[in-house]
Parts: sequence; C-alpha cells; structure tokens
Amino acid sequence: MLSNPHRWFGAGQSSAADSAKAGAEAAAEAIGGRVPKAVVVFASVAHDLPALISGVRAEVGPDAAIVGSTTMGELGNGGLTVGGVAVAALGGDGFTVHTRAAHIHESDPRAAGAAAAESLRGLHDDHKVLVLFCDGLTGHPHDIVRGAYSSVGATVPLVGGFGADDRRFERTYQFYGDEVLTNSVVGLALGSDGPIGIGVAHGWRRIEPPMIVTKSQGAHIFLLDDEPALDVLLRRNNFEGTADEFFHQGRQLQPLGLSRRNGEDIRVLHAGDDESRSVWGTADIPQGALVWLMEADRQALLDGATWSCTEALARLDGLAPLGVLAFDCAGRRVGLMEGGVDEEVAVMRDALHGAPFAGFYTSGEIARVRGASGVHHLTLVTLALA
Amino acid sequence: MMNWSTHLLTEFFTAVNAAEDEQTAISNAVERATEMVEAEVGAVVREGKVLGAYGFGPAVPEAGLLAVATGDCLLEVAGLGELHAAPNPLGGEQADALIVARLNEPFGPEERQMLQGMAQVLGLALRSIRVLAAERHLRAEKEQQATSAQTRQRLVESLLTIQRAISARRPLPEILDAVTSGACELLDGVKVALLLAEGGPDRRLSVASTSGGTDGEPQPEGAARAAMASGTVVIRPDATGTVIAAPVRVTGEMAGCLVAHLSGSVDQYTEQRDQMDAFAQQVSLALTDAKTVEAVREAHHDPVTGLPNRALFLKILNRVLSSRGTSADPTSVLFIDLDRFKAVNDSLGHEAGDQLLALVARRLRGCVRASDTTARLGGDEFAALLHDSPMEAATIVGERVVSAIKEPFRVAGREIFIGASVGIAISREDAEKSETLLHNADVAMYRAKKDGPGRVLVYEPYMHVEALDHLSLRGDLQRALREGEFRLQYQPLIRLGDGMPTGVEALIRWHSPTRGFVSPVDFIPIAEEFGLIVDIGQWVLETSALQVARWRREFPDLGLNVNVSGHQLMHPRFSDTVLRALAIAGLPSSAVTLELTESVLMSEPDLGKAALGTLRGLGVQLSIDDFGTGYSSLAYLRELPVDELKIDRAFIARAELTGEDLALVRTIVELAQILGLRTVAEGIENAAQLEALRRLGCGYGQGYHLCRPTDAEELPSRLLTQLVEYR
Repeated sequence: MLSNPHRWFGAGQSSAADSAKAGAEAAAEAIGGRVPKAVVVFASVAHDLPALISGVRAEVGPDAAIVGSTTMGELGNGGLTVGGVAVAALGGDGFTVHTRAAHIHESDPRAAGAAAAESLRGLHDDHKVLVLFCDGLTGHPHDIVRGAYSSVGATVPLVGGFGADDRRFERTYQFYGDEVLTNSVVGLALGSDGPIGIGVAHGWRRIEPPMIVTKSQGAHIFLLDDEPALDVLLRRNNFEGTADEFFHQGRQLQPLGLSRRNGEDIRVLHAGDDESRSVWGTADIPQGALVWLMEADRQALLDGATWSCTEALARLDGLAPLGVLAFDCAGRRVGLMEGGVDEEVAVMRDALHGAPFAGFYTSGEIARVRGASGVHHLTLVTLALA
Repeated sequence: MMNWSTHLLTEFFTAVNAAEDEQTAISNAVERATEMVEAEVGAVVREGKVLGAYGFGPAVPEAGLLAVATGDCLLEVAGLGELHAAPNPLGGEQADALIVARLNEPFGPEERQMLQGMAQVLGLALRSIRVLAAERHLRAEKEQQATSAQTRQRLVESLLTIQRAISARRPLPEILDAVTSGACELLDGVKVALLLAEGGPDRRLSVASTSGGTDGEPQPEGAARAAMASGTVVIRPDATGTVIAAPVRVTGEMAGCLVAHLSGSVDQYTEQRDQMDAFAQQVSLALTDAKTVEAVREAHHDPVTGLPNRALFLKILNRVLSSRGTSADPTSVLFIDLDRFKAVNDSLGHEAGDQLLALVARRLRGCVRASDTTARLGGDEFAALLHDSPMEAATIVGERVVSAIKEPFRVAGREIFIGASVGIAISREDAEKSETLLHNADVAMYRAKKDGPGRVLVYEPYMHVEALDHLSLRGDLQRALREGEFRLQYQPLIRLGDGMPTGVEALIRWHSPTRGFVSPVDFIPIAEEFGLIVDIGQWVLETSALQVARWRREFPDLGLNVNVSGHQLMHPRFSDTVLRALAIAGLPSSAVTLELTESVLMSEPDLGKAALGTLRGLGVQLSIDDFGTGYSSLAYLRELPVDELKIDRAFIARAELTGEDLALVRTIVELAQILGLRTVAEGIENAAQLEALRRLGCGYGQGYHLCRPTDAEELPSRLLTQLVEYR
C-alpha cells in the first residue's frame, strides 16, 4: 500500500462488460490504494452509466470529486477501448480541486460556460487550469467556451473536450459527482503547486483550392461557392452515392479548415441530407468563411500526437510528468484507420516517457493557452501535471 | 498565399450584423476581433464607457482601456503584464474605439487595417441599431426596419460576391468591377466610380471601374481628393446632387477613392455615407489581397534580391541622417545602375534577369561593410549607404562595385557580361534630406553613364543643371518628331577596289530651334531611354527609303544602310513596319542593309532573331556596326544572318596605323572572308589609311576622306563626282 504523496496521478482502464464492475476496475487501477481528490471518468454510452459511476464511487470514497464524459473511444496506457472505460485519478496536498456543473440553455449557451468557470472561484494555487467536459451535440461549442473565457480571462488556461456517443450523434453525457447529466458543462478547476503543461497539435493539411461558404446557418452548410455543399463534397471526394453512404462508407468524417491568422480552424462534418444537399458537423461554420477540405496521412497524425505530448511536457519546468489527460479528436481516430490507433497510443507512451495517461476520443477539443479562441477539432490536446 | 484577413472581415461582418441590440453587437464584435487576431483581450470604449470587455476575467482595467482609446498603445492587465494594444475608431465624432490587445506580438499593418475595417463595420451596425431603435417609435417602424434589414442583407451579399472573386483569383479588373457594381446596387443604381491613384509624384487619379448612372456625369475628382487627403469619408453637395467619397487604402497607404453620385441633398444620405465607408474598407482589403504581388513590392524588401527596397532604404537613410552627431562624419550614398541589364532580361527572360539581379545583390553586399546598407531601388538600380564615409572612401567602394560587376556572371547556363555605373552623393549639411541625397547620387550616376559605362562620379551641383537639361531634352525630342525638326544626311559607302559608290548610310540630324545642333550621340540614348526611338527609327527608315528609291532611277544599284536600335528590333511588329516602309517607297528589300550595333546583338543574341530571320528571308541584309568594340563572339556571326561587318573607326583612327592596328583589321577582314561577309571600314580620314585598308583586302569604306555626310539635295552631284573621279 502506497502512502499518500504530495501530488500523485494514476490511470486505469477496463473492458469489463458489466458497467459497475468496469467502473470499479478502472477506478481501482487509477487510484492504486491512494485517496483521490478528483477522478475523471471517460466511458462509452454503451454502458449503464449510473451503474458505472456507482462502481467508481465505491472505489474512490465519498469525498472524491467525480467528473467526466462519454466518448467515441477511450484511451489509456493500455490502448484504445471502444465500449469501455478509462479513469484518471489525482490527489495529494499539492492539488486543489473545485467542480461546478451547468445546464446548457439553447438560448444562452455562453452562460453555461461562464457558470462552469465559476469553479475557479476561491482557487488560489500558483498554477491553475480549468478543465471543461461539455455536451458535444449542442451545436454551440464556441459560445460555451467563449462564455468560460469571458469569466476566466486570459490568466488561466482552458482545456477539455466535447463528449460523444460512439457514432450515434444522439445524446452525450457528462459526469458530475454521482450524477449523470446531459446537455451540460462540467468544470473541473484544478490548482497545483507544481507546474502544468498543455500541448496542442494536429496533423492535417489543406487540399487546394479553397471555397467560400456562401450559405450557412449554425453548423449547417448549404452552399459552397454557390453550389450545394453536399454536391461539392461528393465531387471533390470522387464519391457517387447518397449522403449516408458517403458519411458511413466513404469519408466518415470530413474535415474542413477555416482560414485563420495562424493556419486553420478545423470543423468536422459528419452528416448530410440528400434532399437539401446540405452537410453539417457539430460547430458553427460562419457564412462568408473561406474553407479548405483537409487531409492527413497516418504519419502526419502520429507526428502531431508526438508534438502535442512533447509540448505539454516541455512546459513542466523540467520536472517529470506525474500523468496526462488526453483529449483526442474522433476525426483523428478515423484518419488513423485500422491499426493506426495502436500506433498513436504507442507514440504517446513513448513521448510521455511511460507516464500514466487517460483520455478519450472527443467530438471537439478545448485548449486556450494564448489568444482568445479555445475550440479545436482534429487535434490532440494534452494536459500534463508534474 | 491567400490573405486570411479579408475573409475574416466578411465573417466578422456577418456576425456583427446578425445582432439586434447594441450589447450583442458589441460583444460579438469584441469576441470575433479578439479571436481573429489571436489577441487575449478586447473591449469597446463608447461614449467614455468600457463595454463588452473580454478576456480580462473579473478585473477589467477601465482606466487603461480609456487611455488606449485616446492613443496609448500598451495596456497593463493584472496577471498577464503589458499587452500591445490597438485602438480602432468606430467612426462618428467621439473617441469611440474597438480595442484589442495581445501579449508578446505587436499588431502588423495588415492586422491594423483589418481591425480598422472591423471597427468601421461595428460603428455602422451600432449607428443603424440606434436609428432603428429611435424609429421604432415612429409610425413607419415596420417599413423602415424591413428596408434597413434588407439593405444590410444586400451589403453582406455583395461583399460575398467580391470575396468569391478574390478567392477564385479572378483578374483584378473583374474584382474592381464587382466592387463598383456592388456599391452601385447597394445605393439603388446610382453612379459609382473607383478612382485609383497612379504612381509618380502627382498621383494622378484614374478611373479603375465604374457602375451605374449615365456616362455623361462629371467625375467628382475634387471630393475624391478631399477624402484621400483627410483619410475619412467626405459627403458634399455638387451641381446636380450629392457626392460621397470614401477613401481606399492598400496596405495602409492611401490608394484611391470610391465615389458615388446621388441625386438628392446631403442630409438625406447619412446611412449611405456609412455604407460607402464600410464598403470602401472592404475594397481596401480586397485590393490588398488582390494585389499581393504589388504588396510584396510595398513591403520593405525586394523579393528578388532580398535587399531593402527604395522605401526602406530612404527610411534608413533618414534615420542615419537625423541621428548623425556632427556634419564631420559624412554619410555617402552610392547610386548604382547596371549597364546592359535590360538586354539580358529581354533576351534570356525575366527569370534569368531575376537570377542575375540576385547575383548582383550578393556581389554588392560583398563590396561594402556589414554595417552599411545596400538596397534595390527598382529595375536595375541599386543603392548603398555608407556610414562615416568621406569622398575618398566612398569612391574606392564605388570602384570596387564597378569591378565586381564587370566580372562575368553565370546565369541560365551561360556567361553574362554586364557592367555598372556609380554615382556618389555625400551629405554635407546637417539637415540634408534623404530624397535629395539619393537624387543627387542618381544625377551623378547619370552623368557617369554619359561618359561611358563603368565609371564612378561624385555629385557636383553643376550636374544638376545637366540633369534638368536631360529631362527637358525629352520634351524637345517629342516636339522635334512632331514638328519635323529632324532631317537626314547621307554618307556614301565606297567600294575600295575601284572607288565606286555602292550605297549610302542614312544619318539623322537634329537642329533644335532652342538648342541648336544636337549630336545623335547625345540624343539617341535619350530617345532610347524614353522609348521615342521606335518612332524616330521608323521615320528614318521611311524617309530614307523614299529618297533612295528616287535616286535609284539615276543610280540603279545604289543601296541603303539604315541604323536600327535594339529597341526597334524588340518591337513585335518590327519586320512588318520595315517591309511596309519599303513597299510604300518601292525600294526592293535587297537594296536595304540594316545596321545593328555589336553590343545590341551580343547582349541580346536571341533578340529579334525571328524578325531578322523574316527580313533576311525577304532579302533585307544585315550589317554589324562598330564591329570589334564589343565582346566579339564568333558564334553569333554563324547564328545570325549577317551580311556585312563594319570595322569600328577606333581601329583606324590613328593617322598612321600601327602594326597592331593593322593586325587587328587584318584579322577581321580575314574572318569576314572566311564567313563570306562584306567588310566596311568606317572613319577613313586620309589617303594612308585608305591605302592600308585597300591592301588588307577590306572591301568597302566610309569616311571624310572618301565623302562627307551630305544633304539629300547635294548627294546626286557628289555621287556623280565620285563616279567621275573613279572613271
């Protein structure tokens, strides 16, 4: 039995079919007999989520804060699970943890972000970060993060991810204490007397020529260069068939890059409509934007993973990482294809020098270290603690 | 590379215009602007209050933001430190501004321009929201709202059209037409013109595109100039209504004006004024984007050589001049002009030309100290700024430059020989202007060049007078051509074997009513420089062809030699114009020999090959003038359809030819014989020379000893005399 060190971080995974058992197994591995302050749970919607959370609770004790999200695949040192669970746990006197959850109202998604950010209140540690676990299907990811940023300001970095429900696009869930919420934002304000590092990288590149979004509404694109958006996607991918065939057999996720000062702001399209010839993803695509279709090869994506981990570790003032939370875009998983995910996990293990990590495949990532925008797509965001 | 900022402005526009109340418009604007330039914080200052503060967290530095609105460019933010701030006026009367601030990196000119555009858009939206709110109380509420919303929608749509034209890389004129027709549509079909300032000191305004209205309406240039001078939108009455003029900038610099002419009175058009202003901002960005190539030029470095450009050079020079401690440490400016560069560029192509310029730049850098500045002023002109360099030191550097450039360059797989002329100006007074200094160096360079290539000269005030003269000479030349001040003299070519005149060379003469007699040596280079040579050359050809055709009735075998400049040869219709002139005159092409200088042919071996080939095919003959003075190459003698070599007078100029002279001439003559070419010796001035040349086997000759250049009316009698003497 380990004593309780000043700061510690552990990770665990389980593929057990029984939800309570899976939660308990992963949590037990993560805490390793220590008393955690916070437990982060990433689980598939295939599980009985309340049962899974009770399983976790039984292991971690009554005082630990539980937060987390449902996924499109769970990540950890052991590799990828689909339909499984991954748990990260941290504790020790060096960490302070506050949490807050807020419901997302359709009329004011920003308010939810701002409310979740209130978890930072009263946190006075030397190093702070706000970790957000958000519903992935509200259609307003940017507003949620803007709401959080407007409350937090530029002094505290933001990280996190938008939840997924495997590939159903129906409903995602957030974990907050013993509750399983939906359409919510959960904020984990983490304070530490040790350094915190954040890494952000993707591995996609533009396919010329760019196009103008000539008609869009929210996350729906109707016209690209005045041509029905679905027609454009099918033509440029040399695909003949319906929207469903395209998104399920051709390109499961079609990345789109918006022209930005330092490159692209990426959106992922995951569905289309044969009738209206429109396509959509999970985030706003502003009318008037200049966009590129994006592509990647496996090596570029793997290099991105290495870079994200290396960047996060580089910010730990030379200290060895205790552990890492990873928010990896589901679009990357699709891009990596069969076998590539195992390679990505191997790359991450190497880059993190064997430090424990847990994470999930998201429908959108959050990272704001500089500048003001915090929503990413097709990106691996890593949060390293030392 | 596409310009990211232009596209963001349209996104921004859409986001801000979607807002229905002021608060939403402000927070949308602040958030988008902050994100788009990757700033950390942003806010709006309006009527003395801070609104929409973003990214500050709980503690908003209100005093700091108000200070930024009035011009501070640093903003202290608790927990972050000092940020670079950019205040962007919302338009209107007060110091209202959209502010963004960023850690680490100040805002570049392009970002500032985009932010200015965003602020204008926000200002416009806020004013129209306020107008709407006020008008809600009026009966016409519904109708007005609909119109205003429609107008805004139309604005968005036409901006999208322009955007598409830019992103699809349509040609610039098409983009400009999209701009004016968009503005015209927005203003219900009134006449809209886009006036762009041309380069040069007087910045003439030219109409780049128009839409709407009828052609007869006057060009409101006055309003355009006022808007450009003030940098703000101008609305004023004119004879038939109202003119709105909104300035257009390119990369931050005033480039022109978008002008609309409306039929009503000034007070009706407040909204239209704002719309034109917002539209002009968009145009500014569109032009900045579409003119990427020119933008590179306007940036501070020359893309070909990587050297500072003229603007940056002048800036540096200004700084050096103003920071100079005393007049005792002189600053020197070298103006370097390449000789024969144009020929390389025209014959080997621009790519080779650019390569050559890059190599020249490298050599130039090697000629000066690391602390000195070299720059490319444009074309084949370079400059160097030497710190603490008195005249002697600067002259040494100038000579070093000349000899460095004289060494052959290897470009496109061949050796290229060019040269450089250098003018030097040295600052004498404390308060010398950078432009003046550079101009003086230019004048000195011009003077140096006049004395022949490869010279270095230091500026003296008298040169200025000469330079002025040079400029006025251009005007005089134009007039001379127009008013018929040129005339021709003819100098016979004599067959040395029997003294028989076989042809005449047409020689141009200019007696200027103001200048008196001006030698071709002085005015031909200027005619070439200003592009007048093509017209002058054509006149010479037409006139002499008619003349010789007339003489041939009496002297049936008489040939005509005409000098042709490289500029004429490059003219795409050169062969056509020659043939046309001969046809009109009724002179057979076989009677005509075109004389080209060796340097033209040598430096531009591919130049006009096709034209020469065509002419040769039709029987026109080709002669190489001044043979032996250039960089003789046997290769082109084989490649080009040459019929005749004229041995330069320099080889036979001595009253008594030395053994060396004779050896050279003999070589040329033998060479010509091997290749089956005629040889003509120029400048034969005495009997000894004539005898020597005859003995060497030179076929033909020209010179005062044989026959002076003669006016047309006297020539027949001269020819007869010659024939009589021969007999």
